[in-house]
Amino acid sequence: MEAIKFENVHFSYKSKEEAAKDAVFEEDGAFALNGVDLTVEEGEFVAVLGHNGSGKSTLARLTNGLLTPTEGEITVLGLDAKDSKKIFDLRKQVGIVFQNPDNQTVASIVEDDIAFGPENVGIKREEIGERIDFALQAVGMEQFRHATPNRLSGGQKQRIAIAGVLALKPRIMILDEATAMLDPRGRKEVMDVVLRLNREEKITVLLITHFPEEAMLADRAIVMHKGRIVMQGKPADVLAKEEELKKYSLALPRALRVCRGLSAGGVKTQDSMAAEDVANDIVSSLKTNPKISVIPQKKGAGTGLECLEDENPDVGRVLCENLSYVYNEKSPFATYALNGVNLEIKSGDFFGIIGHTGSGKSTFVQHLNALLKTPSAEKKYRPQRVKKGAPIPPKTVLTVNGFDLTNKKTDFRALRSKVGMVFQYPEYQLFAETVFDDVAFGLKNFNGKLTKEEIETAVRDAIEMVGLRYEDVKKSSPFELSGGQKRRVAIAGVIVTKPEILVLDEPAAGLDPLGKEELMSLLHKIHSDWCKTVIIVSHDMEEIAENCNRAAIFAEGKIVSVGSPKALFENVEGMESLGLDVPFTARLSKALAEKGVVIDSDYTVADFVEKLLVFAKMQGAGTDSTEGGAENA
Amino acid sequence: MRDATFGQYYPSKSFVHRLDPRTKILFLIVYIVAIFLAKDFYALGACALVFVFIAAFSGVPLKSLLRSVKGILLLLLFMTVLNLFFYSEGKPLYDARWDFLEITDKAVYHTVFLAVRLFLLVLGSSILTLTTTPVSLADGIESLLTPLKLIRFPVHELALIMSIALRFIPILMDETARIMNAQKARGADFESGGIIKRIKAIVPILIPLLISAFRRADELGDAMDARCYSGSKVRTKYKKLTFGWRDIIAWVIGLILLAGVILLKIFRLPIFYFF
Repeated sequence: MEAIKFENVHFSYKSKEEAAKDAVFEEDGAFALNGVDLTVEEGEFVAVLGHNGSGKSTLARLTNGLLTPTEGEITVLGLDAKDSKKIFDLRKQVGIVFQNPDNQTVASIVEDDIAFGPENVGIKREEIGERIDFALQAVGMEQFRHATPNRLSGGQKQRIAIAGVLALKPRIMILDEATAMLDPRGRKEVMDVVLRLNREEKITVLLITHFPEEAMLADRAIVMHKGRIVMQGKPADVLAKEEELKKYSLALPRALRVCRGLSAGGVKTQDSMAAEDVANDIVSSLKTNPKISVIPQKKGAGTGLECLEDENPDVGRVLCENLSYVYNEKSPFATYALNGVNLEIKSGDFFGIIGHTGSGKSTFVQHLNALLKTPSAEKKYRPQRVKKGAPIPPKTVLTVNGFDLTNKKTDFRALRSKVGMVFQYPEYQLFAETVFDDVAFGLKNFNGKLTKEEIETAVRDAIEMVGLRYEDVKKSSPFELSGGQKRRVAIAGVIVTKPEILVLDEPAAGLDPLGKEELMSLLHKIHSDWCKTVIIVSHDMEEIAENCNRAAIFAEGKIVSVGSPKALFENVEGMESLGLDVPFTARLSKALAEKGVVIDSDYTVADFVEKLLVFAKMQGAGTDSTEGGAENA
Repeated sequence: MRDATFGQYYPSKSFVHRLDPRTKILFLIVYIVAIFLAKDFYALGACALVFVFIAAFSGVPLKSLLRSVKGILLLLLFMTVLNLFFYSEGKPLYDARWDFLEITDKAVYHTVFLAVRLFLLVLGSSILTLTTTPVSLADGIESLLTPLKLIRFPVHELALIMSIALRFIPILMDETARIMNAQKARGADFESGGIIKRIKAIVPILIPLLISAFRRADELGDAMDARCYSGSKVRTKYKKLTFGWRDIIAWVIGLILLAGVILLKIFRLPIFYFF
């Protein structure tokens, strides 16, 4: 039986008349959904892809009656979704898990929250107890029955949200970007649960996601664009159509970019996201002595800047020795967030900071502009007399951009104007009436004596730097902008003081793949024209490999290793033992090395492809000199 | 602060902790009534004994108990001063040049009496909040208010609001800290300047916080809708408060005390005047 059936469904957030009127002027813009036909079979696992604003969430909400279609028919498990009398029968069958794990829990205790759904539909007490057992077991969270959700990790919270939905025993489960706010570990937890529910409980799954790896797990992928379904088919086929994806503002997964790059250069490789398969393909392809043409690859800007010799070496530099930080000091709950961190970030670096939630990386980053201070930098600090014979504690050094952050006499405001800090989801800090006022906020705070013209010039420069048109946006409200634009405005509000060091915590979180790439190239532009040193905290190892020249891995308050991404990712086992991912190119290089093909690349897609093609060509030249020679000539 | 057990709750498994929240709430009401009915130190002394008795079974250290009194010290001082000078009955203790500086013996008695009464009141209430999590306190209040459903008082809605508020307080506190840090990094200064400057400095925190609260409310509303929330009458309740043997003991003790107070009140039993 069909689980979900959409027939020519239109939906507009405006009223019907308004939408019809607007539709005259803009062809598609008025409708969030613009004639969708979709059939999902029972037990099927369908991934929905599409850039932000393509109509994916609208699709989800229509399916369980949170929205009703403006036009067209929706049938879910034989129920008419437009029938308001049967709306609760429908919702019982269709569970939705939303993006933000915090905003879908009503109770302060896990079991009470899971009981919420069954209570709403009037299930008897004893049975609710059984359903809680069932739901918690299904998501593997039995031991957290009496826990409080605030104490759980993001992945655990989302599993509780899934359990809350499961307690209603739905036949269909929709995940509306449910993994977007999680770290890789949490994402895996959630996806494991979803897969199992689909395979074992035969629940129909509609997975809305930006991550190609997740979409690959589905039976079918559909791509939405401007409220229409524009592509449909096996995930591997859909994700491989580079030109089409580009048209719909989506990007080819990095693994497939490697395959395509190699095939184009002559090393025939099947599209695959499994490193082992690709390695096998490469090896067998190399044996056939292919004709190789080394195509120079377009490289990202991802390298460090050289520090010019006549410059002040302190500018843009971070030096940190023996930095520790304790939460709840002098109480039984004392925990070391940082435990003797030593790190030098050189002027000109595009530096990556890697680590799990709770590894101490956020605590470290907040030290860089004195949002957290060493004890000796606190106003109340008095040097303690050290007892004779007692071991002298190691001296803490924290020098950022030439400011000594262990000294309470340091001008911390001056420091903050030189070390810009962009927090996660910075758009949530916008507050002013106009974009201009918001961007100017920091500038005015740091320097009250600026003239109107000076402020205007600086704000204009910052807004244009982040790729927005000053005249278009200066007077508009920051809240009217799109998500990506808001983030740019928030970044402009930080770089407006022309900091030497720019620190960004998960700058690309929550953006769609194209948005991520745009943001990273914006950061490179800022890095080369504006800020000496850029430091990003990221969970995305591909992002680190593609963009940073150096990186450090944090674990349990310490730095486990520092070096170029190449040096870090070479140690695949080491990374995996820390529960961290490695980029596809690193996995592939390892698989190849085991087969005797050693490729020495920096793990960016472009460099890897180029190095491998050069290798293939050399090998060709070695084994069959005539052909190789001809190629060379 | 990332905990539902914020506020005063002191975790323990004492006798008082394990009582049904309704028992504790009703006991507190009886205790407060008794304090207000007490007209002299003997009666107050009896209340103090009851308090000491309960405190001994609560497993809460004296230090935590006294901390709760700290909050009302200023109020106490204010009240003492007012009472000392404005209570004019009785014999003056000394000869003051102005009438309003005069202090009478009865004023001293009255002030001390009021102070002790207030102390006992606050201590008694803090036993409740120290031994009961906000969540079960809310459950208790909901259950006690159930009869009000007859007059169409929205008991269930009120309980849900309480529960959601408790759930989101720590989240919004975290969020506030985050926004403050972000604005501090942009040079905002919350610590110096006059009162007007400080109030102005709050705007960049308050607006993002409000917007976020609305966004969260919106998303939570959708999530509740999606989980079939309608507030209808068919709604069942998974957690049911049940009285245990501890509650029976507490009730017996409470009733004896109540009877004692009433008897004292009605018959003015002479033991009160022996001491």
